[in-house]
Amino acid sequence: MKNIQGVYKVAGLTRVNDIYYRLALEAPELARLVKPGQFIHIKVSAGLEPLFRRPFSVYRAVGGKVEIFFEPVGKGSRLLAGCKKGDLLDVLGPLGRPFSLPSRDVRQVVFIAGGVGVAPFMLFSDQIVKHKAAKVLLYGGRSKAHTFPLNEFKKNAVKAFVATDDGSAGVPGRVSELFGRIDIAPTTFIYACGPRPMLAAVAAFAREKGLKGEASMEEVMACGLGACLGCSIPTSQGYQTVCHDGPVFDLQDLVFP
Amino acid sequence: MKIAINIGTAVFPNPVTVASGTFGHAEEFYGQEEVKKLGALVPKTVTLNAQQGNPPKRICETPAGMINAIGIENPGIDRFIDVKLPRLKAAGVPLIISISAHSEDDFVLMVEKLNEAGGLSAIELNLSCPNLQKKELVAQSAEATSGVVRRVKNVSHYPVIAKLSPNVTDITAIALAAEEAGADGLSMVNTFMAMAIDIRKRRSRIGNFTGGLSGPAIRPIAVRMVCETAARVKIPIIGMGGITNADDALEFLIAGASMVAVGTYNFVDPRAPLTVLEGIKAYMRAHRMTDIRELIGSIER
Ligand SMILES: Cc1cc2nc3c(=O)[nH]c(=O)nc-3n(C[C@H](O)[C@H](O)[C@H](O)COP(=O)(O)OP(=O)(O)OC[C@H]3O[C@@H](n4cnc5c(N)ncnc54)[C@H](O)[C@@H]3O)c2cc1C
Ligand SMILES: Cc1cc2nc3c(=O)[nH]c(=O)nc-3n(C[C@H](O)[C@H](O)[C@H](O)COP(=O)(O)O)c2cc1C
Ligand code: FES
Repeated sequence: MKNIQGVYKVAGLTRVNDIYYRLALEAPELARLVKPGQFIHIKVSAGLEPLFRRPFSVYRAVGGKVEIFFEPVGKGSRLLAGCKKGDLLDVLGPLGRPFSLPSRDVRQVVFIAGGVGVAPFMLFSDQIVKHKAAKVLLYGGRSKAHTFPLNEFKKNAVKAFVATDDGSAGVPGRVSELFGRIDIAPTTFIYACGPRPMLAAVAAFAREKGLKGEASMEEVMACGLGACLGCSIPTSQGYQTVCHDGPVFDLQDLVFP
Repeated sequence: MKIAINIGTAVFPNPVTVASGTFGHAEEFYGQEEVKKLGALVPKTVTLNAQQGNPPKRICETPAGMINAIGIENPGIDRFIDVKLPRLKAAGVPLIISISAHSEDDFVLMVEKLNEAGGLSAIELNLSCPNLQKKELVAQSAEATSGVVRRVKNVSHYPVIAKLSPNVTDITAIALAAEEAGADGLSMVNTFMAMAIDIRKRRSRIGNFTGGLSGPAIRPIAVRMVCETAARVKIPIIGMGGITNADDALEFLIAGASMVAVGTYNFVDPRAPLTVLEGIKAYMRAHRMTDIRELIGSIER
């Protein structure tokens, strides 16, 4: 196997708040290889239930450890939330097409995230601290409890703006309330990750204003390797697999039926 | 230890292969040496013209299994031969090319193209395709199965394997029809028609409404079908349905399959076919078997 399958030790599981968890794996090779926007495909159960692996964006890769940031919502993620330090997890990765790094002439990097979709941007902002562009994060969450990792972004000189559905933090409403923070210029580059309706709004906005950008898509996955063609989504180039052709796609290629 | 298997004139170095549609991009995640350990490579079914496949959701997870309705997304036979086949040939593993078509004529046309392309070990006919003007699949009719197999056998330079659907009352009747029409081997089974419903949205969880069930959930039925069929046909069977490890594969071999294929479980563990092969060898050593034929069909009846 070309370095993509490994069994790694859980270095720690941290309960971040009422909603989120962080899980760290001791995986130096993986930490070295992974690029922002790529995911790891974790075998969450030793048995057949659930059968499929679960994909998670890499949230951080420092000190030989790879971290994911997740919310337990179902069978697979709840099993992960029950992991203990020292447990072994079978992982495929890093997989998928990463975000492209902002070119030197980019003056504003705009991260747009919904909910747990913020995960890949932590790694991304870690890796572009030296880039001279202004960096902003427009973050939409359900409530204040969903806004935890933002102080970490501040350390990476990313200015965060928040919108919450219930108005308990930042501006009340959807993340689109924050689009005014985006410089309408050819030197702006958007990176988005979150629920599909949010990405549709971002894509429509970018199209209307002529902005460039990329978005990370989600779809139910089986293999994660481009083998089953199960995670295909319609794009302007025909059906493409989220796991292998994506998860990152150019905003202009996305089709929202 | 003799573990090579013949199907017609084709020779496979060992009995472990992969199920069509479950092992794309192998060259990217297997090392070159690892791919060579497979008994054969079976790529996804190819059709005469390119097919774009079904709209999402194409898959859903079910207890110990999955439902899929991919819609045979493939580039069409010409592009397959030009682009994919050279790469597959370079892998240095016997190739079983799976094809499907909407008519006997189209099957023949595709086989002629493959004759010309060269370098195959065998052709697998995916007969889970519509039987023209009828509501059934070709694989659901002994007559239609026999018709396709006979026409293909007339032209094919390669041994022909008929892949059977389990969605029938008596699979042995279809198997016998394929054998009589000249098939060199059988592949069984394809997926079971199934559905799963999202009770919140009261919608099918599959974009195509229904799909095919595969994975460990179907294994006991597949083993039974292989066992019944092996008792009645003389041609070799490639057994599949929910194989995850060597023990599962051994059930098929003991039931009478000559080869086994890992399908859905490749999605969980892409190395599963290699583990299965090692496990079969270990079992043979432990039981002092020197020839895989001592194992095949060894069930006490
Ligand atoms: C490329 C990619 C990257 C991902 N990165 C992350 C990540 O960094 N962190 C993370 O937490 N998740 C991430 N996910 C989602 C993750 O893979 C799982 O789908 C999610 O954890 C649910 O799996 P489960 O087994 O817990 O739920 P299941 O048992 O499969 O589903 C249970 C219920 O939860 C619903 N559900 C499924 N996914 C979600 C979701 N994301 N949010 C809310 N409800 C959902 C389902 O519709 C279902 O009703 C990513 C997915 C993809 C494709
Ligand atoms: C995602 C997926 C795609 C498949 N595509 C094909 C195909 O193109 N042609 C074919 O003959 N069978 C196809 N099959 C069926 C498998 O080859 C196999 O017969 C079946 O899944 C049973 O084996 P399994 O339980 O080990 O998966 C597919 C199965 C799955 C799960
Ligand atoms: S999950 Fe199999 S192709 Fe993407």
